[in-house]
Amino acid sequence: MVEMLEAFTEGLFLVFAWKTFSLMLVGIAVGFAVGILPGLGGPVTLALMLPFIFKMQPVEAFGFLLGMSSVTATTGDITSILFGIPGEAITASTIVDGHPMAKKGEAGRALGAALMSSLVGAIFGAFCLAIAIPIVRPLVLSITSPEVFMLAMLGITFLASLSGEAVIKGLGAAALGLMFATVGLDPISGIERYTFGTLYLWDGLRLVPATLGLFAIPEIIEMAVKGTSIAEAQVGRLGGVLEGVKDTFRHWKLVLRCSALGAYIGVIPGMGGSISQWLAYAHAVQSSPNKERFGKGAVEGVLGPGAANNSTLGGAMIPTIAFGVPGSVVMAILLGAFIIQGLVPGPPMLIPEREGGHLTLTFSFVWIVVVSNIITVAICFLFLSQIAKITYVRGSLVIPFILLLVYLGGFAENNAFEDLLVVLFFGVLGWIMVQLDWSRPPLVLGLVLGPLAENNLFLATDNYGLGWLKFRSVLFILGLIVIGTLFPLFQRWRENKNRPEPLPGQEPKKPVPVSPWAPVFGVALALVFAWALWQGRDWLFRTRLFPWAIGIPGLALVFMQLVLDVSGLFKGRGAGLAERRDERAALVRRRTTAISGWIIGYFLTLWLLGFSLGVLLMTFLYLKLAGREPWSITLALTLFAWISFYGIFGYGLHVPFPKGLLLQWLGV
Amino acid sequence: MSRKICLFASAILALFSAQAIGVGAEDFYKGKTITFVVGFAAGGGFDTYTRMIARHFGKHVPGNPSTVVENMTGAGSLVAANHIFNKADADGLTIGNWIGPLVLQHILGNPAAKFDGRGFGWLGVPTPDSGVCALTAASGIKSPEDWLNSKRPIKIGATGPGSTTDDVPKLLREALKLPIQVVEGYKGTARIRLAAEAGEIDGGCWAWQSIKPTWAKGVESGKVHIVLQSMLESHSELKHVPLAAKYAKSEEARDLLKVADGPYGVLARPYSVPPKTPKERLEILQKAFMATTKDAELLAEARKAKLDFTPVDGPTVAKLVNELYDLKPAVKDRLKKIILPKK
Repeated sequence: MVEMLEAFTEGLFLVFAWKTFSLMLVGIAVGFAVGILPGLGGPVTLALMLPFIFKMQPVEAFGFLLGMSSVTATTGDITSILFGIPGEAITASTIVDGHPMAKKGEAGRALGAALMSSLVGAIFGAFCLAIAIPIVRPLVLSITSPEVFMLAMLGITFLASLSGEAVIKGLGAAALGLMFATVGLDPISGIERYTFGTLYLWDGLRLVPATLGLFAIPEIIEMAVKGTSIAEAQVGRLGGVLEGVKDTFRHWKLVLRCSALGAYIGVIPGMGGSISQWLAYAHAVQSSPNKERFGKGAVEGVLGPGAANNSTLGGAMIPTIAFGVPGSVVMAILLGAFIIQGLVPGPPMLIPEREGGHLTLTFSFVWIVVVSNIITVAICFLFLSQIAKITYVRGSLVIPFILLLVYLGGFAENNAFEDLLVVLFFGVLGWIMVQLDWSRPPLVLGLVLGPLAENNLFLATDNYGLGWLKFRSVLFILGLIVIGTLFPLFQRWRENKNRPEPLPGQEPKKPVPVSPWAPVFGVALALVFAWALWQGRDWLFRTRLFPWAIGIPGLALVFMQLVLDVSGLFKGRGAGLAERRDERAALVRRRTTAISGWIIGYFLTLWLLGFSLGVLLMTFLYLKLAGREPWSITLALTLFAWISFYGIFGYGLHVPFPKGLLLQWLGV
Repeated sequence: MSRKICLFASAILALFSAQAIGVGAEDFYKGKTITFVVGFAAGGGFDTYTRMIARHFGKHVPGNPSTVVENMTGAGSLVAANHIFNKADADGLTIGNWIGPLVLQHILGNPAAKFDGRGFGWLGVPTPDSGVCALTAASGIKSPEDWLNSKRPIKIGATGPGSTTDDVPKLLREALKLPIQVVEGYKGTARIRLAAEAGEIDGGCWAWQSIKPTWAKGVESGKVHIVLQSMLESHSELKHVPLAAKYAKSEEARDLLKVADGPYGVLARPYSVPPKTPKERLEILQKAFMATTKDAELLAEARKAKLDFTPVDGPTVAKLVNELYDLKPAVKDRLKKIILPKK
């Protein structure tokens, strides 16, 4: 117990080391802006920031990343309230009552309430984490490899089954991620798997370029297609902020209950802020004596979600740190950061430093969340009206910077140009998945947890043969997996059954049209799985075990989805085609083609001209030609992009950029 | 006239070559970063030694480069060894630390070992290893006699073929007929320790030099017993622990224990650079390695952390590795059966 308290206080001191603290401030600044900017979400930004942490110490890296992700839920509320569009996916519920309040002229009060309840929620969640650490420790330290494998599967299936309505697609995506994780030298005997004879693929598909491609590229395309500035509404005078703060304490019981709810939801793998906020909102409505005020600007409707979406982070970190089972997308990407830093979630995180663990580091996470939220809320209160103006930034101004970050980040992790091809590959895959409604988080989680799952599956089999399948703990987790997978299906079935008959004059709901491309994608996936299985036929058992254990169910899932798609296509024949002809679709297609051209063009320019020249040229060209910005803005931003690129990567990190191919040919 | 030109030319040439040498030495490392690639997980013996060496290494390289440590785990550090031999740039900025007896895997013809031990540039070894078997109190085994009479196979945690943790128990099983089930796949001894404490396995066999700093608490509290030494001679701190040789009944058994003593002892934790690293940089790094292992600050830290430093220099390591390639065919065949992965 003494060592716990020691580590707890030492964790606080770690946060205030000047380097950690300043990196945390940078993280907060980034998270601040990202939270406010709609369309640019926490997970995408986390992916964009991953490459920066390579040269950092673990505590600095987490100060930076956690500082960033723990404030997005707070500043995201601001956008939701002022403009009625979610600043973050996890702040959508704040709109319901927050935006009506703003329209009633109570914007200040709503903001005050949102900020204060966010702070309370964040601190509550962080201390849940702190209290949980000593409690879960004995449990985690007695965990064996069959259980670790099953927990990894549990995390993946939960995330997959909660991702939208299509459970089969979610599970298929997870299997695909796990298969991608097997590329490279096999971790048990060093045999090459799926490397196509290239040395590059020996190290496998790297997490950072894959995550960047999957999340950032589709995001860029969507931004370019929407093409509007981020917010159009005007902000009036902001008054009554203090009243909102008072509201938080007037309803302190509700705030605390919702904080607890958020932390609890966070702990459950596969559930995160996007769920907890709505449950908290529902709770706020249900526990209020006069329910009719809700939706028209009831302050409780802001307080509940405000607290819950912040406390979720602290809760979600518990299974991530203790079991390596991330509770949400943010946690899945954060788990990647653990791996990059050479930290293994699980027992080592809960053992004191002098015994080779990272307990102090773990406690420092608690403090990072607390301190960064205090700073953020303080800044918000001071500069509220100025902050609201950030939302006027045009998408076309942001895109070249995101593109720059994508390519630089993809390259700088490993200084390998091939990584950019991985970015593009996963970018295409990610875009297709978005179009065909396949959820991407399970794929990333598969990629992250693949090595851990493989290692423990092999250990379990080497140790117990098939006997581990009969362990009571294993069967228990298997039960949870089955329930977790079937429950959403059951829920949907019940919803369908209880849906009232359509009113006269109202058309019955049509089945969602299946894109004619869905079966094409399905066939491609099936071929990939089949090929991967076939490749393994001559390998040693130890090399083949995991690819087969994953590939066979993967192939089955993809095949099932294919059958569903084909039958859906026949049922809803022609339903999707009519819409495709209208003007909007043509515009979307034109803009998609244009931005894809820019994305690929950027890559080719970097390849031919190298980074220094390429970044300069492409930022300039995009701002001038695609954004049609005036000369002054174009030149200033181009210069800014180039200087920050050169300052951080060239000068600060000494990244050895390759010479452009064209320059090599010319012998410059 | 022509003499003057000659003189002038040679002066310029001398100037250039002096500069070239300058670039090869001090100037090259200035402002650069040397990366240590460790083949095992953080918190184990390889990682502990490397992190300590890396902290003091830069001081002894002209130009004082900074250093970073990377853990590249997999297949008992084979992934790291393959990386150093084939993929890492031979510019003297990447130093590998993987387990030396992996060279045997190449000699015995494991297709996954994609390197030739004779090709590396060897920097040295910080200390020869003294192999021991450590078993938890929960296993119920306190002496070699308990072990020999055990009704069930004792589960020994291991990393991957070619490592001490794998091969030494396999050699002991063969030589002494000890009941052993080797459970492979752990990412390093740190994970083996945790698995043993969780009761998943009974213990493991690896270097006392690694157990001492990382598992001290277990040994001191009596939760872990050092049951057997696999070396031919006792470590000075382990006089009370029986030697495996005592239980070897045949000449053949003793031969196998000799193998366990050789590559798994002196050659266990070598530091190396990729083939074709410029000779002058290799020499700089070799010198720096030896100087680091004698650095006063490092030794003070090492005493606190209970790390042994009795270094073996690079040229000696290179000689020992080359000698391994002259292994007799009969011994080779026998070893193939014992230590190459089968399933």
